[in-house]
Amino acid sequence: MKTMVLGVGNPILQDDSIGLHVAQYVKERIDDPTVHVDVAYTGGLNLLDVVQGYDSVILIDAIRDTTKKNGTVERLPLPEGKTVYSCNPHDVSFAEAMTLARNLGVESCPHTIVIIGIVVNQTPEFGEELSTEIERAVPVAAQLVLTELKRGKSQP
Amino acid sequence: MKTVTIDPITRLEGHGKITIFLNDHGNVENAYLQIPELRGFERFSQGRRAEDMPQITSRICGVCPVAHHFAATKALDAAFHVEPPSAAKKLRELLYCGYIIYDHILHFYFLGGPDFIVGPDAPAPKRNILGVIEKAGLDVGKDVIKHRAYGQKITAILGGKATHPVCGLPGGVSKGLTREETKEIKEMITSCIKFAQFSLTLFDSVVLQKREYLELIRSDPYTLKTYNMGLVDKKNLVNFYDGHVRVTDQQGDELLKFKANEYSKHLAEHVEEWSYMKFPYLKKIGWQGFTDGKQSGVYRVGPLGRLNAAEGMATPQAQKEYKRMFDTLGGKPINSTLAFHWARLIELLYATERALELINDPEITSTHIRNPVGEPTEGVGVVEAARGTLFHHYILDKHGLIQRANLIVATTNNAGAITMSVRDAAKGAIHRGVINDGLLNKVEMAFRAYDPCFACATHTLPGGMPLTVDIRNSKKQLVTSLSRGPL
Repeated sequence: MKTMVLGVGNPILQDDSIGLHVAQYVKERIDDPTVHVDVAYTGGLNLLDVVQGYDSVILIDAIRDTTKKNGTVERLPLPEGKTVYSCNPHDVSFAEAMTLARNLGVESCPHTIVIIGIVVNQTPEFGEELSTEIERAVPVAAQLVLTELKRGKSQP
Repeated sequence: MKTVTIDPITRLEGHGKITIFLNDHGNVENAYLQIPELRGFERFSQGRRAEDMPQITSRICGVCPVAHHFAATKALDAAFHVEPPSAAKKLRELLYCGYIIYDHILHFYFLGGPDFIVGPDAPAPKRNILGVIEKAGLDVGKDVIKHRAYGQKITAILGGKATHPVCGLPGGVSKGLTREETKEIKEMITSCIKFAQFSLTLFDSVVLQKREYLELIRSDPYTLKTYNMGLVDKKNLVNFYDGHVRVTDQQGDELLKFKANEYSKHLAEHVEEWSYMKFPYLKKIGWQGFTDGKQSGVYRVGPLGRLNAAEGMATPQAQKEYKRMFDTLGGKPINSTLAFHWARLIELLYATERALELINDPEITSTHIRNPVGEPTEGVGVVEAARGTLFHHYILDKHGLIQRANLIVATTNNAGAITMSVRDAAKGAIHRGVINDGLLNKVEMAFRAYDPCFACATHTLPGGMPLTVDIRNSKKQLVTSLSRGPL
């Protein structure tokens, strides 16, 4: 069983880079040859290329949810179809890309995908620093990822 | 006056917002595209090492990393007064062809294609790639995935990294090609040529053979008589990577032809208070508002802009298709916004043919791929991003650090035209306050033809993205709100 922990975000857009920071934090705290921790500065179909060949994927990313406070950490399933959007108008969502790959019978698709989302509601400007409230979420989100990895291990 | 707000557009993730203003008769007075552009890039880049710019700028936008990478690299060539060796230019152009291949495939099949292959009046849940595959067949779907991945793989081999290349340096590239890599790339390109041909055949059978689609393409709401702009080579043929910027008028005649570093002589930017986005126009003609015609300095870039601004394609099959398009749609220039889709497929074919020429060139495996740089000063780089002309302009200090950076991105070049196209599409779908069911689709089609991209956060994951229309009265109070989705 091969698992990928994938932090997603833009390294030069302030809080949007939260997924990358969490992935780094996790990487420094695990030593397991069946788990590969990586980052991607992209979304949609490009992510499909990255996750192929893994049995399960834990994706860490900024999420937008104006009903919740900035820095709130959530565990979400990957929705079916088209409800998770890519970063830009030129791509489909990661969920749509996965649905497409499964419909086409792409065999190397992961069978489980879990999202660890960190709420970031403000539109970031260019910058490499995280804001304080988002930085506080890094260990919280990382702990959720580690718990998720343990849960994966305990299941056959 | 009533206001209709469409926010957000499906498949245009939350950044684009369209506000439609109705007059007292309930007809469309104006429509504006509002984009909360990310700001602060110039400040962010100040004081950074110039050679980091190809990497930094390729992160600005998740859509065009390759285009930004090479606009930046070419600006550095100029700023450091160095001409890359011929082999390095060919390697860059080959990588660039890989980018155009995956980018244009993605747009046609995933984004633009649903409007035609599934149909403009099909229900929204069907107007996506899954609907396309339902109609065109599973094998087509597999081919789409395969060839898009080939384009990505070509850029990864040449660029040293998937999606975000790291090969561009002032004076050349950091990585050459081995014989084995050449063989692998050649096989992928040969397959891509066939797929590009197939895509044009598909477009012919599902679009061009249907009178109602041709009528839609030729219809008034999707027609805009602007100037056209694009890069051309010495023979005035389309080139994505290098050449002069050429602007043609409403008769297809040349108005301007200039080098990258002359851009500020010819282009100016108009500012509107409702948008962070700037609206470039031709200085020689001037800004007359959101209007087309000879007196208005608005121009279009991107696939149709490029094909209109050039005199042809530099490869044989693409040239044949080029001629067929202009013959079918009534000669040059073509002003039909929806013809962007056709032009995009012709460019896809060109990119595959050009890539084959480059990979067959004996010089492509040369190891002389970088020249030494000179003293740092100032430089402008220009390339054709998949969606239009892209300028990077850097002023460096004597230590090679960025003092000033100015970027004009492709979608900004099209901003005036997109605004007008959205307005005209809305006009065709709203009469006397009655909003036609197809309004949202029609507006989206106008917008999407340009394949716009905005500086964006790499990812946001909202739980659902409904399409909503707010109707406001003359006091801007909300009267009613219509919504669709989440899809």
